[in-house]
Amino acid sequence: MSHASAPAPIHVRARVGRKATAVACAVVSLALLSACGSSGSSSAKASSGTAAKPVNITFWGWARGTQQVVDAFNASHKDVHVTFEQIPSGNAGGYAKISNAVKAGNEPDVFNVEYQMLPSFVSQGAVQDLTSSVTDLKSKFSPAAVALTTLAGKNWAIPLDNDAQVFYYRKDLFTKYKIAVPTTWDQFRTAAQQLKKADPATRIATFFSDDPSTLEAMSWQAGAQWFGTTNDAWKVNLQDPATEKVSAYWQGLVKDDLVRVQTSFSQEWTASLQKGQTAGYVGAAWGAGAVKSALPDESGDWAVAPIPTWDGTPASGGLGGSTFVVGKDSKNLKADVEFSAWATTTAAGMKARISSGISSVFPADPALVPVAKQGFDTAFYGGQDIFSVFAAGAATIKPGWTWGPSMGVTNTAMKDSFSKLATGGSTIDQALQAGQSATLSDLKTRGVQVAK
Amino acid sequence: MTQLLSPTRGRRAGVRGRGGAATLLLAPFFLLFAAVIVAPVGYAVYLSLFTEHTSGLGFGGAQQVFSGLGNYTRVLGDSAFRDGFLITAGYCALYIPLMLGSSLGLALLIDSTLARARRFFQLALFLPHAVPGLVAALVWMYLYTPGISPVVSTLGSAGIHVDFLSSTYTLPSIVNIAVWEWTGYNLVIFYAALQAIPRELLEAATIDGASGARTAWSIKLPLIRPSLVMTTLFTVIGSLQLFTEPMILHGSSSSVISTWTPNMYAYSAAFDRNDYGLAAAASVLLALVAAALSFVVTRFGAARSSTPKRSGEATA
Repeated sequence: MSHASAPAPIHVRARVGRKATAVACAVVSLALLSACGSSGSSSAKASSGTAAKPVNITFWGWARGTQQVVDAFNASHKDVHVTFEQIPSGNAGGYAKISNAVKAGNEPDVFNVEYQMLPSFVSQGAVQDLTSSVTDLKSKFSPAAVALTTLAGKNWAIPLDNDAQVFYYRKDLFTKYKIAVPTTWDQFRTAAQQLKKADPATRIATFFSDDPSTLEAMSWQAGAQWFGTTNDAWKVNLQDPATEKVSAYWQGLVKDDLVRVQTSFSQEWTASLQKGQTAGYVGAAWGAGAVKSALPDESGDWAVAPIPTWDGTPASGGLGGSTFVVGKDSKNLKADVEFSAWATTTAAGMKARISSGISSVFPADPALVPVAKQGFDTAFYGGQDIFSVFAAGAATIKPGWTWGPSMGVTNTAMKDSFSKLATGGSTIDQALQAGQSATLSDLKTRGVQVAK
Repeated sequence: MTQLLSPTRGRRAGVRGRGGAATLLLAPFFLLFAAVIVAPVGYAVYLSLFTEHTSGLGFGGAQQVFSGLGNYTRVLGDSAFRDGFLITAGYCALYIPLMLGSSLGLALLIDSTLARARRFFQLALFLPHAVPGLVAALVWMYLYTPGISPVVSTLGSAGIHVDFLSSTYTLPSIVNIAVWEWTGYNLVIFYAALQAIPRELLEAATIDGASGARTAWSIKLPLIRPSLVMTTLFTVIGSLQLFTEPMILHGSSSSVISTWTPNMYAYSAAFDRNDYGLAAAASVLLALVAAALSFVVTRFGAARSSTPKRSGEATA
């Protein structure tokens, strides 16, 4: 679950409940193909409202602190009123709910999509082209965030966060067992062995078998290029040498029982962190809020380190990160962009999110980094200046990564193939192979051009 | 229909009067039936004949194109869909004997002269069925999850290390949830059938010196065979539509894959992969299999009550 804002992991029951609700909802809708959920795009036809007659827009999202952002926006704006609906995070049923609404023709005016899913939504024709609306706005965002939201020369989304990979670890345990914080992946493996030796019940981190996004970020960091475009055709290569290296490395950790294989943000994962049986988490900036709210009893025990590297040169992949998009049928484009821009590029918007206490997004608008830093209480991390670690990481995110046009297909195939990873019945390589062939076959079915 | 079947004028008039009332009374049913069954099924069939088509990099938007039976070929050619049926078959093989065996055994026990506090046991055993499947699955998932489950930790401290959510135990774990949910329900059906057996027969057996077990085997079982056949076939159809329990487990265990059952395949096709045509085709195929099995059920039902029905047909 690589969302800028996984729902609070400790409340996994709630998460599953929401997922279940989404499932139930979606199933009913599959049969009826009428939408569940909100009544969709607003009735207002005017593109800009007035204080007397504000434009009403609907917004679906799940990022942490979103409710606070919407409340603050509504309190300070008389011309636009946002009706927010909290939906399950994308992976846990949120995308299902959105796709369903798109199909039924009643999608919300604005909704959140992670970077990796943006090309899929564009490809479905579910979102509006924002190119002419963001001409002035886009200079505010980091080039990396703009690149990920620009497809075929058009801007499709307004980015919220730009999260580098980082390594969260139990500082107290690492100190107790005299283990150095790893800066390279070789050291990471050594540290994993030392930790397991010091306490046979403890592992250094977790391989998430339900979510390939960490593997994707690792490959990205190693210099892989899973997707690319040339001459109006896609190149798909999930098995380039860089990815092979990452795959072999993690396969080794799994095989030698040096990392756990669990579902991300599951009850099992949280319990294992609570008991100190897992002493680290390979995550991203947004995870700081998630770890903090999952483990209230471990305040002061955790710290954040830059992600280990392959060759000592700092580098990072992107992990998660959300954007704001406008639904294809929305008639309130101006209000939609006004709200999205407020949430992503104003100090007030960022402050409202971070002061919720559960969000730690690293803003895609570099000017807001001090706001985020000031708003986040780092007592949980022993007062460490974690936003400096995030900032240093964000500066080293490798340019040039492109997400594929049907990541839902790619990820589902990989997830399914991870099912036997824990018991040794399958390998990460096989999952990559499955992802590759499922993606190619989907592109072929949809008539998308694939380069030879 | 009724008019075609009525040979004489006089009768036709009478039938028409009754037909008007019947139409009025049946109208709400047929309206709802058309709105919530016929229309969606029709739309699903329609969807299954189309596929989304795009060109170039795919960013120009997609359009629906007619693809005939293309989606059906793709579904049938997908080993994940066929595997779903294999898993369902394995599930049936484990679940049906276990669940029906226990509910039949328990029903016979409650029906036997030895039983005390019958009403209590009947209610207690039926209670799990009153819990919605979704809630049941969530509760069981909690009991299965290592690290938080009291069951797993108790077993662990006794030296038994089981991971109920690992790929080895997925099927038995889900069967267990279903058994827990449905045993009580079928028990009630069996118990009702057992209660309907004429007491003279049982008395006669006792007088003839038959033991309790012998009575159960040679008298009670043959007499409740119709309900046994019905529950079996309904259970098979229910199993084909297995969805909620594995879907909940899928959320926290990767060993339950997204296409674990045919129903989950359809869900995943629509909402993970955005392939609505494929999802609709899979749903239609699943519905056809279920319809075929339903046909078998009704045939069995008709065979059981054939004598009175035939005489009815003869007079019409």
